[in-house]
Amino acid sequence: MGDGSGRGSGKSSKPEWLQQYDLLGKIGEGTYGLVFLARIKSNANRGKSIAIKKFKLSKDGDGVSPTAIREIMLLREISHENVVLLVNVHINLVDMSLYLAFDYAEHDLYEIIRHHRDKVNQPINQYTVKSLLWQLLNGLNYLHSNWIMHRDLKPSNILVMGDGDEQGVVKIADFGLARIYQAPLKPLSDNGVVVTIWYRSPELLLGTKHYTSAVDMWAVGCIFAELLTLKPLFQGAEVKATQNPFQLDQLDKIFKVLGHPTPEKWPTLVNLPHWQSDVQHIQGRKYESPGLYNVVHLSPKSPAYDLLSKMLEFDPRKRITAAQALEHEYFRVEPLPGINVFATGQPGAVNYPTRPVDTTADFEGTTLLQPSQLVNSGNAVANNMAGSHGMANRSASRPMHMVGMPRMPTQAMGPYNMASQAGMGGGTNPGGLPLQRGVAPQSHQQQQLRRKDPGPGPTGYNPPQQKRRYG
Amino acid sequence: MADFQTSSHRARWIFTPQELVEKYKEANQRAIEALDKFGATRVEVDIDGTLTYPEPLSGTGGDKHSRAKPLNVDEEKLLRVFYEYKIQDACQAFDFPHKIQATALMYFKRFYLQWSVMQHYPKNIMLTCIYAACKIEENHVSAEELGKGISQDHQMILNNEMIVYQSLDFDLIVYAPYRSVEGFVNDMEDFCQAENGLQMFQLALAALRRSNNAHGVLDFESYLSSVIARQNFLHTLSELLESLDAIDVWIEKHYIPTADELKRIDRKVKSCLDPSSHDKSKKREKKSKHKSKRGSEEAPSGG
Repeated sequence: MGDGSGRGSGKSSKPEWLQQYDLLGKIGEGTYGLVFLARIKSNANRGKSIAIKKFKLSKDGDGVSPTAIREIMLLREISHENVVLLVNVHINLVDMSLYLAFDYAEHDLYEIIRHHRDKVNQPINQYTVKSLLWQLLNGLNYLHSNWIMHRDLKPSNILVMGDGDEQGVVKIADFGLARIYQAPLKPLSDNGVVVTIWYRSPELLLGTKHYTSAVDMWAVGCIFAELLTLKPLFQGAEVKATQNPFQLDQLDKIFKVLGHPTPEKWPTLVNLPHWQSDVQHIQGRKYESPGLYNVVHLSPKSPAYDLLSKMLEFDPRKRITAAQALEHEYFRVEPLPGINVFATGQPGAVNYPTRPVDTTADFEGTTLLQPSQLVNSGNAVANNMAGSHGMANRSASRPMHMVGMPRMPTQAMGPYNMASQAGMGGGTNPGGLPLQRGVAPQSHQQQQLRRKDPGPGPTGYNPPQQKRRYG
Repeated sequence: MADFQTSSHRARWIFTPQELVEKYKEANQRAIEALDKFGATRVEVDIDGTLTYPEPLSGTGGDKHSRAKPLNVDEEKLLRVFYEYKIQDACQAFDFPHKIQATALMYFKRFYLQWSVMQHYPKNIMLTCIYAACKIEENHVSAEELGKGISQDHQMILNNEMIVYQSLDFDLIVYAPYRSVEGFVNDMEDFCQAENGLQMFQLALAALRRSNNAHGVLDFESYLSSVIARQNFLHTLSELLESLDAIDVWIEKHYIPTADELKRIDRKVKSCLDPSSHDKSKKREKKSKHKSKRGSEEAPSGG
């Protein structure tokens, strides 16, 4: 009994749950684990692409990975067209590893930006940038109005759906660092370092004990600039092996572009630990500000620049919120944002490459046994999602659409009444498009992927998760 | 999550008293069937987390009379109640915040909507529920630390972790009325009407009314009227009083088992879980009496 050779278990080489998929190969890898691409075998959704995210076992032998548990518990509660939807949870009881199944998204901002920088050699279409940003903010506003902070926004975590019913729809992914920040039991800084360094806000870098959803908005600002210029706005070199979020080079990069923060503009600055303690390096240096608008090549009078500068406000209390950003003039002037970010309405649309699939990768840990007698037999999450794929596929062709023309039929969303969310109503919809609820309910999809983003040399760009502490 | 209205808690885990009775009955019935078929009820959770159900009885499996007798629904309930108090004791011993205690309790209650205490011994599940609550509420405590603090085997805590999550359907965000209580106690002027679900709201008010009845701080009914007036309630005073009374009746019905009752039930459940080791476990129990407080001292401390 003690050796796990459980009676009544299937003795196949693959766990039972995996047999409902055709495994195609590995598509991603990160500190949390691996991501595989698979297709559903069953008739109802035959051929539908699924991304399976496998979590590494928790290192310290302290039970189920808290990262996985966080992601599952948050995704179980939320439902929004611009947030990934968890389709299923599978458990490999033999080694207590968890597998999260998401619908597959072919693109992400990291790849889109890279494609433009390295292959196309021209900026991303304005309509596409604006639509990407609008949908990102729309998803983030939903999260924030539900007291969820993402805490790891960066281009590779912002997915975009490929061909299909939801073509060109943004999905915020990777909730492994996300948390609810309503009435926390402990200071948030106890959770350890959050946000990948290039997208980390100044208050985090300066060691604030408490922080707010404004950290996500800083990251959105960085992403916005990157969409415009095709390169990271603040490419600081990360000093590894430090247990605090303080990164001098990163602050240096920020101050070089935005100028030096002052207690006049940011009153609580003087209370931040690293501002106080590192007078020589941080307070001592003088920066000539070349002006953000020069860096991003925008007119200082343009609505785009105005919005960007409000996202990159030093004082988190003055920084624009997601709800406010959605109301910004930028989204009210042409081109209006739309539901399919690729539908530019102009000839010569960019064809983005599909994700490379490593077919040689081994789906490790799956040659073991799967107990078949569980109450939920590893499909715990599926029960209330039955029928989530039940809709017949519409044409997968890629008709061109007029700018801002919604492709999706307006349909009621799933079980949650999103209209009651702050900012979810028509008020935030600049073009009067049925953006919020116009997405077909069967396909809140996502896949999760965190590639090893190339960093600036050896100092690298690894996500900070491994430094996370709990408790 | 701030929004109870759209939560998994509200959508999937609010039951009527009748539904609860049904669920307990079904769990009890499943365990009894297992006992009939296999002669034992324990669902073994192995070191790696896999579940093993009892072996079917071979023909020589002993005569009917020596068979363990199953617990009935009421006995199961008493055992659960006892361990629900134990959760509170343990959380207080660790000085955990209310929220963790409430979450652990909720997990424990939800778990035993799926299983009978004859299948998973509640002491083990109780510890895992506390451990899981700490993890989910971002107040991480290692299993080892937790086990040490209450002199229990921490491996048992870990073994059961996945089965607990799974039995909860991974609906791990739960709501407790503490925030509502605080809200009323402070008489917050714009008490967040929409954000607090009605159930939480009523539970908070019911608790405050009971405590007011004991201490007589204010005229509760006129306070309720003022709340209703200020909050544009959809409810009339009499409707609100009715639901508070219903909660009160529920509380009055709450019965805490005596030490003797408990000992008897515990013996019974142990013989159901694993009849063959009954004698062994008796011996073990005697031994462990010296180490940890057991037997009659284990009686509930609360009220």
